[in-house]
Amino acid sequence: MQQETLLQVKNLSVALDGRTVFENVFFSLKPEEVLAVIGPNGAGKSVLLKTLLGFHEPKTGSISWAPGTSYGYLPQRFHVDHYLPMTVEEFLNLKPNPRYSIEEVLKMVKIDTHWLKRNLATFSSGQLQKILLAWSIIDQPKVLLFDEPTENVDVVAQESVYDLLHHLQDTLKISIILVSHDLNVVYRYANQVLCMNHAMTCYGPPKEILTNETLSELYGDHAFFHHHHVGEEHHHRHENV
Amino acid sequence: MTLIFLYTLLSGVFVAAASGLIGSFLVLRRMTLMSDALSHVALPGIALGVLFHFEPIIGGIVALFIGILLIWLIETKTKLATESVTGVLFVTALAIGSLLIPEEDLLEAFFGSVQNITLPQILIQTALAIAVITIIFAFKKRLTLFSIAPDLSASLKTSPAATQLLLLLLIAFTIAIGISFVGVLLISALSIIPAATARNLAKSFNGFVSASITIAIISLLGGLLVGNAYSLNPGIMTVLISAACFALSLLKRK
Repeated sequence: MQQETLLQVKNLSVALDGRTVFENVFFSLKPEEVLAVIGPNGAGKSVLLKTLLGFHEPKTGSISWAPGTSYGYLPQRFHVDHYLPMTVEEFLNLKPNPRYSIEEVLKMVKIDTHWLKRNLATFSSGQLQKILLAWSIIDQPKVLLFDEPTENVDVVAQESVYDLLHHLQDTLKISIILVSHDLNVVYRYANQVLCMNHAMTCYGPPKEILTNETLSELYGDHAFFHHHHVGEEHHHRHENV
Repeated sequence: MTLIFLYTLLSGVFVAAASGLIGSFLVLRRMTLMSDALSHVALPGIALGVLFHFEPIIGGIVALFIGILLIWLIETKTKLATESVTGVLFVTALAIGSLLIPEEDLLEAFFGSVQNITLPQILIQTALAIAVITIIFAFKKRLTLFSIAPDLSASLKTSPAATQLLLLLLIAFTIAIGISFVGVLLISALSIIPAATARNLAKSFNGFVSASITIAIISLLGGLLVGNAYSLNPGIMTVLISAACFALSLLKRK
């Protein structure tokens, strides 16, 4: 049971407007696995996620989801127009085929029910992310695809979103594919890491894969802090290039 | 009050409801100016109706249908900037339409001609209005999500291109059925002003949609009645009433 594969990606490449965004990506996803996709800005991480979701057509290669595998998506940015007249309850009700009641989902993501009647535009970006998380699990997906925001989310809120993801993974037994800019998060939550810089440069469990060499290859020498040893408890927050 | 005027009022309720309803999606999706420009495309079709003596509303629908197909194709199949291309298309349509329509009919096409409305016209537009309202309610979740969060909508395996086409078709029919009331130039005011007003007032989505429909109905009925009582153009009166509602809503803006 544990060994069935939810998603198998082989030799995937994607081109947008005739320009190759990335190529040569291979990986697989098993139940309850957390796969972190890391790499510098513009390396094609978000495009990879969107290709898995079917937003872009692969140029070569294949994406095979196991039959019946449902997935939820948390986009990097959820822009809420300042004047959007919509309550949290109305927003959550837009999701087709719900498997959980709104009350159940709120409990899972630790949102108080008094949020339901509030307007979406009144929430901070961190709070919106929790609402989106509730949205993404309401139809009980087997896999969550999470594109971590690069900006405008405060660290405390971000921290609690990861705790929530971890908690959901534990309780709902879902798999997660996570685009991350924060190596801290990767060490703490991921079982598998995929390094991307227009092509796949490494793939495997974080402790084995994330060496100084692979990281400097991925981000460039100057970007990585050599004085810091990978694998230590007090991980340095990785600076984005 | 004549019987045909009563029928016109009744038909106006449905046409205004359809306009207010579609207007709320246009405002959320920021397509208001596009729909304004699109309405001009109806003119050459109306012109052909006038010239060749068939129902101008049919000509208008066919022209709008061609117009939205062109926009949709440009948006989904080419890399051209939709904004500028639609601008070119619509001004051209307006020019061709103005050239074809006999001068004495031009003002009616621009600002509406309720006084000349015929029973077949009333029947066609009422039936289409009811169809538009029914379809919007049937696809309400999908259209709403597409309008506020295209990314989330696309992640649900619904084709964005198909949803956009559906929205454009609904816009085209709504424009076509409102033209006899308020004319080609004022038609978008019937959908956009009520929705913009409702957005200033509403705190929830259901409140927003209901308010938009209500304001559109009040404006159109008010315009028809005031126009009838004081021999003024009902289309222009409708727009002025809805604009007054908008001005008032600014005072109550949350």
